Amino acid sequence: MKDQDSPQPEERDSHTDPAIWRGLTQQRLSRRQLLASAGTGAGVLGLSAFLAACGVKGNAPAVSGSSPAGGVGTAAWWAKQKLHHTVNFANWPYYIDVLKGKHPTLEHFTQQTGIQVNYTEPINDNVAFYAKIRPSLAAGQYTGFDVIVMTNNTPNALGYLMQNRWLTPLDQSMMTNFYKYASPLVKNPSWDPGNKHTMAWQSGWTAIGYNSSVIKNPGTTVDVLFNKKYAGRVGMMSDLQELGSVGLLAIGVEPATSTESDWAKAAKKLQLQKSDGIVRAYYDQSYINHLKNGDTVVTQAWSGDIFQADLNSKYRDLKLLIPNEGAMFWTDNMCIPLYAQNPKDAMAVMDYFYQPQVQAVVEYYNDYVCPVPAAKQVLLHPTGWAQQALTAMKPEIGLPTSKTAYAPTVFPTPQAIQHSRSYYSFKSPEELTAWNNLFLPIVQGS
Amino acid sequence: MLAPYLLSLPAGVWLLALFLVPLVVMLSLSLQSCNPATGACVLTWHWAEFGQQLSLYHTQFLTSFYFAGAATLIDLVVSFPIAYWIAFYGGSKKNFFLLMLLVPFFVSFVIRTVVWEFILSDQGVVLGALKHAHLLPQSFHVLGTGYAVVAGLAYNYLPFTALPLYVAIERIDRRVLDAAYDLYATKRAAFTRVILPLTIPGLFAAFLLTFIPALGDYVNQVILGGTNNTMIGTVIQNSFLVTLDYPGGSALSAVLLAIALIGIFAYARLLGTRTIEEYL
Repeated sequence: MKDQDSPQPEERDSHTDPAIWRGLTQQRLSRRQLLASAGTGAGVLGLSAFLAACGVKGNAPAVSGSSPAGGVGTAAWWAKQKLHHTVNFANWPYYIDVLKGKHPTLEHFTQQTGIQVNYTEPINDNVAFYAKIRPSLAAGQYTGFDVIVMTNNTPNALGYLMQNRWLTPLDQSMMTNFYKYASPLVKNPSWDPGNKHTMAWQSGWTAIGYNSSVIKNPGTTVDVLFNKKYAGRVGMMSDLQELGSVGLLAIGVEPATSTESDWAKAAKKLQLQKSDGIVRAYYDQSYINHLKNGDTVVTQAWSGDIFQADLNSKYRDLKLLIPNEGAMFWTDNMCIPLYAQNPKDAMAVMDYFYQPQVQAVVEYYNDYVCPVPAAKQVLLHPTGWAQQALTAMKPEIGLPTSKTAYAPTVFPTPQAIQHSRSYYSFKSPEELTAWNNLFLPIVQGS
Repeated sequence: MLAPYLLSLPAGVWLLALFLVPLVVMLSLSLQSCNPATGACVLTWHWAEFGQQLSLYHTQFLTSFYFAGAATLIDLVVSFPIAYWIAFYGGSKKNFFLLMLLVPFFVSFVIRTVVWEFILSDQGVVLGALKHAHLLPQSFHVLGTGYAVVAGLAYNYLPFTALPLYVAIERIDRRVLDAAYDLYATKRAAFTRVILPLTIPGLFAAFLLTFIPALGDYVNQVILGGTNNTMIGTVIQNSFLVTLDYPGGSALSAVLLAIALIGIFAYARLLGTRTIEEYL
């Protein structure tokens, strides 16, 4: 039988189509090769166009005059605004009175005015929050918040907001409680003359915290932070504003009026402190834990933290020192970002918090520096709604209201007011970059 | 005919949207100039950014290399016996032991590191007891030194080393070992001349999988470290979150990425791509 599968040699060439030979021998495009070449092709074509399109063309901020574009914030604009009976309030955590998960002051506000407050606590860090709302502001859109609370010592948050004119100027006619009751420390402050854009929420000092059982005699100046006796047990803050300001105080310069050459000298002093091995580490807000468990014996500290630590008998030795050079006085400020949808309601809630009764309730929970001195009397002799709220909160807080009323870290003495210093106000991003370039290497250099 | 392509579409889209696009944006950002106040960025092909960032932060890069390298070596030395034991002697309980290895990972990374800070604190459980027994001077401290950072890194990245090693060792055919014994190999010789060479691809994979994440770590040094051992991860984090210097942070990230790619390509060159697919 002839084998059909193997053709005779003399028949092979005439029976086999050349196309079949081509198909059998030519290189095929495998799936892998196709995907690879398609990927490369698409990448090359799209890459440069895509790269160029990656640039973000932010809204150029209005530089003419001191108000945002479109006449926002003028008296005429405010006259046209209406109450919408809702307001979105963003704040820091643990910064408002709490009673069984609700906020007595906000409930009372809703009762009085009918305005619903959506109170959230998304702010943990000024710069991170600013980075979160910046894209909306740059695109001219509502950020989702009508009231936000930004600290005045963060130039690349509140400073940028003001430089870029991204804050709605306040309606001065609605600030009746503010002008009646606000303390001189927060009225017409250096970072916002005339309170055009901000109203203080709470304030505090950055001073020196120390363990009085280890340091019997800390002295009265900032030099205790630079003392070689406590080498390896001194804590400093990693926040560049706090670090730089205490450096300026240490060389005898007022931060608010300092110049760039002063900053360089302060940076040198801080660098020396680091190379002498005096600093244990540069801490964020966790510095208080290290002071409590003895890793550090003296540290830069916030007044509110020391007050709250003292409430615990285990940490009664921790004390606050306000040095002769002064303590940096920072303020968390309420402000209205641009494109807010409920500006009139925002003004209402902001001014509401300047009633002494309301501040008393907030302060009882908070224990930061109160912007309303009249709240002290309310705490000592509460009446009406405030008395109800304070009595209800007492079991959870566990302190008599008089303790808050007499605390020097809540209602400052005239001496403490005298020792309060302001941070430097940056006028341009280039100034801030210069400051950062001087002090950042101290924190993250090696 | 189209079916294979359609099947790869979900993975392809996922890769494109969640991997390729952010990667290209990051690389592009490193060449842009941004206004830190408004966030407006323009592509200016600013190649000098890389040089600037490297000259500013080369010390931090070196510190990261030392710490990540030390942590990876410790992890390799510690993980090998663990992986070997589970693979060879785990028996039916292998999955249980692997689970035990992974259980700490159910707790958040930051919380685990903070717990180490608590353990290593000056008057804490460990040091306080030793100081009380006068085995250590009162001024001794571990926190704030490079040793604490390396310890934290080694602890946090141990599963990244142990699991690939386990996979590599598990694949070794037991009959190879039997053959070695048949040929009069001692236990020691069987280990050094048969098992160890067979696990080399696994060791390389475990090294890469531990070294590269540890290099970019930004949590351990901040919590456990001190003033003079900043790692590059912290610098990148500060660039993005504190100074809002997006081009600088992106440039540093791109350099880290390049280092990782070099490592992987070296692996592919030396050991072939097939083994990458097996162990990664």
